[in-house]
Amino acid sequence: MKARKYALLLVLVAVSLLLLTLQSRGYGSRAGDLVAVVTTPLQAGYARVTRGALAVWTTYLDWKNVRAENRRLRAEIERLRVEALRVSETDDENRRLRTLLALQERLPLTTLAGEIIAREWGGWVRALTVNRGRADRVARMTAVISPFGLVGRIVDVRPGSAIVQVLTDPASTVGAHVVRTRTPGIVEGEPRGTLRFKYLARDGTALQVGDVLVTSGQGGLFPRGIPIGRVRAIDDRGAALFNYAALDPAVDFGRVDEVLVVTGRPSQDLTAYFPPGG
Amino acid sequence: MRALLALTVFGGGVAHATLAPALRVAGVTPDLPLIVVVLLALRRGPEFGAVAGFVAGLLQDAAGGGLLGVQALTKALIGFAIGAAGSRLAVTQPLVQVPGLVLLTVAEALVRFALLKLFRFPAPLGELLAWVVLPQALYNGFLGALLVLALSWIELTRARST
Repeated sequence: MKARKYALLLVLVAVSLLLLTLQSRGYGSRAGDLVAVVTTPLQAGYARVTRGALAVWTTYLDWKNVRAENRRLRAEIERLRVEALRVSETDDENRRLRTLLALQERLPLTTLAGEIIAREWGGWVRALTVNRGRADRVARMTAVISPFGLVGRIVDVRPGSAIVQVLTDPASTVGAHVVRTRTPGIVEGEPRGTLRFKYLARDGTALQVGDVLVTSGQGGLFPRGIPIGRVRAIDDRGAALFNYAALDPAVDFGRVDEVLVVTGRPSQDLTAYFPPGG
Repeated sequence: MRALLALTVFGGGVAHATLAPALRVAGVTPDLPLIVVVLLALRRGPEFGAVAGFVAGLLQDAAGGGLLGVQALTKALIGFAIGAAGSRLAVTQPLVQVPGLVLLTVAEALVRFALLKLFRFPAPLGELLAWVVLPQALYNGFLGALLVLALSWIELTRARST
């Protein structure tokens, strides 16, 4: 058994050496051809299978890469969108602050810039919280304005903030007059979040839609001439003592982010310092 | 026997020229016929190892276009030797298989180099060892260990199912 084992090995070694010897003497091509007859078809078949398998594998890898690339690009788009929004937001804020600063510089009264940090918009109360408070020497009943007009008044002062009662608050009343006719009256907030102008019927006969209303300055609470809104509709109640006019506010209270808290008390009319027409 | 020989031919000699390039890592390709011969010799003994080595080596020689008989001889010797020694070695652990295949690859390369030198093979041994033999030996070691593990897993799964 053992001898057979070694005999087999010897045969194999001998065949190998014979092949090598034949090749060294120039008979190599025939032996090579003989082996090639067997190997070439096998190799061709194998290559086909391998190529097919590799093609599937390559396709899979490509698909995987494309998927990963797609995921990466989606994330990139998402990031760029957020970035663009942030830039746009910063741009908007910058523009608003510039407008506010310009107003602050041109107004003949001392003001304190503040940022709106909270909003109460329930209907019972309509108020904004501004980040200026007792530490900034803000006082109750101080007027709060924006570059477009009157926002409201401060009704509560806290250490680091103050509550601003917005003009549309149901409890808000402001003395006002129509710029064109000088018709005096009171601007009141309504529970549905709108503004109305209450005036004596005999005084408001010439009132028209589109008329601009500003603060009257009566009572010394608000400086005179700050835009409040524009007449949208007139509610003529005939023989009644008072008539009403629905107003479009000059300020978009829902979107105001920066305000000026009026700390000085000017004597002059401020109408000219705001955009014409309210 | 026939199936195993077919496996040697398909999985070794012929596959080497077509499959090994696809397995190339950093320019290094494994010697698939050697791995197959070693694994079969370990299971089937020296006679089968020698025949499988001879066939796989011969096909590898033919496929590579080199001297017919060089790898047939070296792989027959390796197959025989590893088949004879297999029963005395603890070869079931990857810790043995990896260095084992590395050493076998180097041994086969040295025998091949010695044979080729008789036919005026020009390359110096040092460079051949550094750039071809040792990287391939390491690759063979790891690939062989993976194959052994895969075969063990297949056998275990088959044993459980029966």
